[in-house]
Amino acid sequence: MKIRNAQAAHGIAGPVLIAFLFAMAGCSGLQAYPNKLDKNLQVRTQLQSGSVFSKVRASMSIYQVNSECQIEYEGTVNLREPHVPVGVPAGRWSYLVFDFSSSGFLSNTSTSTSSRALLNPQAGTRYDVDVTYRDDIYNVTIRSIASDGTVLELPLLGLEACRQA
Amino acid sequence: MPRFLSLIAVSVSLMLTACVTSHPQSAEEFRVAAPDAFMGMKETMEVDRPFSAVAATFRQKAPECLSVKVEMTERSATSYHVVVTAYKPTVVVNNNRAELHVQQTHEKGVLNVTEVPDGGYYLLVADAYPLNDGRTRLELFGPSRGYDVLIRAVKGWASGENLGCPDMTKIG
Repeated sequence: MKIRNAQAAHGIAGPVLIAFLFAMAGCSGLQAYPNKLDKNLQVRTQLQSGSVFSKVRASMSIYQVNSECQIEYEGTVNLREPHVPVGVPAGRWSYLVFDFSSSGFLSNTSTSTSSRALLNPQAGTRYDVDVTYRDDIYNVTIRSIASDGTVLELPLLGLEACRQA
Repeated sequence: MPRFLSLIAVSVSLMLTACVTSHPQSAEEFRVAAPDAFMGMKETMEVDRPFSAVAATFRQKAPECLSVKVEMTERSATSYHVVVTAYKPTVVVNNNRAELHVQQTHEKGVLNVTEVPDGGYYLLVADAYPLNDGRTRLELFGPSRGYDVLIRAVKGWASGENLGCPDMTKIG
């Protein structure tokens, strides 16, 4: 069996790798995100592996970020549906990790890669998150839509941004 | 044969046959060597986008997408092998050219038999040059096979048509 796993050279390689290994071992350490808050994130997902012999899946893990920029895992949302509303606490930093994993039907190969974003949602602001994986190219874009309708595309910040703030 | 054994075998074979005694030690050496190398290529294209926009996209997307490590684990009933490859992007911009270099270092599981340049072996060099009419010429130097997703991504950044990241687990 072949497993390929890509991690950002900076960021939270450790926690994601551990979660991935748990998942691969069939005793997933991933827990469902409670998702009980007002749904301020509208996550839209389009996945296309590029081959009829493989399938790609996506998920979004949410981490709480403390004042020392340390992270604590809160849970994972499976992005199986094209549209998933998610509630993330406003007024504090959260770290979102978008994981793309694919596996082949006829081979023993599985791969995993991820994208991450630091987000500090503001009360009253909505966030549209577009997640795509198409022909081995993935993309995550986050746009904030303020109450007055102002739309702003947000840069995908890593944890370094928290440490530099 | 497991992938890493293949890599070692190829490297040792090349050394023994003296086919490869050194790898390019700089982006400039890579530009010279790649077009005539076995499974190397040079490709030129023009994009309908200003040079400054292409340079800005390289600056934004390269660190976001290409500062990654890929761990490949291969298991069978009798073996267990791990190869760890680290990728390092570098963007250099001046008034005449925007350069994107991608280098790779095998941190585990592969025996390097030639001198490794600072930052790793050169995998891809993409040069953007300003043209007069708000267009930009892109020159790509790299492997002709196996790295399609990386090359497609860089072309997408240059054209502005696709700003996604290549899944680096799918290359090589």
